[in-house]
Amino acid sequence: MKIALLNGSPKVQNSASGALLEDLKRYITEKADVVNYSLHRPVISETVLEELQKADAWVFAFPLYVDGIPGHLLSCLRQLEKVALQNPNRHIYGIVNLGFYEGIQAEYALQILRNWCVKTGYVWSGGIGVGGGGSLAMMPSAEQGKGPKAPVDKALAVLSDKILKLETCENAYVSVAFPRFLYKMAAQMGWRQCIKQNGGKKKDLGRKL
Amino acid sequence: MKLIITDLEEFNIPVEGEYKLIKPQGDIRHCIGCFGCWIKTPGECVIQDGYEKTGADMGKCTEMILISECCYGSVSPFVKTLQDRSISYIHPDFIMRKGEMHHKRRYTNVITVTAHFYGENITEEEKQTARNIMEANADNYDGCVKEVHFYKSAKELEGIIL
Repeated sequence: MKIALLNGSPKVQNSASGALLEDLKRYITEKADVVNYSLHRPVISETVLEELQKADAWVFAFPLYVDGIPGHLLSCLRQLEKVALQNPNRHIYGIVNLGFYEGIQAEYALQILRNWCVKTGYVWSGGIGVGGGGSLAMMPSAEQGKGPKAPVDKALAVLSDKILKLETCENAYVSVAFPRFLYKMAAQMGWRQCIKQNGGKKKDLGRKL
Repeated sequence: MKLIITDLEEFNIPVEGEYKLIKPQGDIRHCIGCFGCWIKTPGECVIQDGYEKTGADMGKCTEMILISECCYGSVSPFVKTLQDRSISYIHPDFIMRKGEMHHKRRYTNVITVTAHFYGENITEEEKQTARNIMEANADNYDGCVKEVHFYKSAKELEGIIL
């Protein structure tokens, strides 16, 4: 069985989507032929389109942008709808990460992916919404199932089992195991550090034009 | 002021009152997730392609009208890319609203969101997703949804007044 992992983050490196796919890969890599693809831009190359035809399952991972799918990835989905790919029984899974704490806020982005499956004829097979995703790419690696990423690891383990069996599942929504008020505080401190590093002042964060 | 964002290159819809129209005029570049609009050039996207000031335009409007092809329940790639590029309308800090985490306001204006979706064969599920997303957008903007409409083609929109 061949599984395609599709990184839909616009970031070429250090993305939360990439980190989640790497974590997922650890569960499936010895049991299936797993190939990574990057959808960082609004157009998918002919070579990648041809490669994708060979996969039994596609796993999309992307960040939540304004309650939905990033614009560039939406372009890719339209391109994928228009090209007549073989294997209508292909299973589609989604992993959405978001800066907000509550994974449930990814619900509508997963709905978009499900609606896309109806248009393409592929089998919508479920996904995960991961809250607190802004911290994922920066988290030190911990033993699988331990530390702040434990709830995410657990959800990925369940999803990986479904992917390997090409089964469908209900969407799952999780958050990092880190208190919400501390996550909020850490983010706010982070923005202040970032603007200073870019030569600005803390008050510039609220600048009005 | 009404802020009209559309993917229609030829816009022939009458509008009452003061408005600003943003439509495709040259290629738009996609958001690269750099957060430069919050930490490098606060309030404006760092990508200078003519679409960088949409967040500031949102800060000056009372009503935001989206006119877009319905794309699986989402707005179209052009309109979505504009939305992605205009998160500078809000402040990076978090705030709790309706029991969920959202962003603080940058501006004081309250946006009323109206959406006009067009497209052949928009399914009921897509319509529901579109309505859900407009509500979620309004929550994130700390605004409200006025109306969400669906049309079978862009041509049908020429019979309405914005």
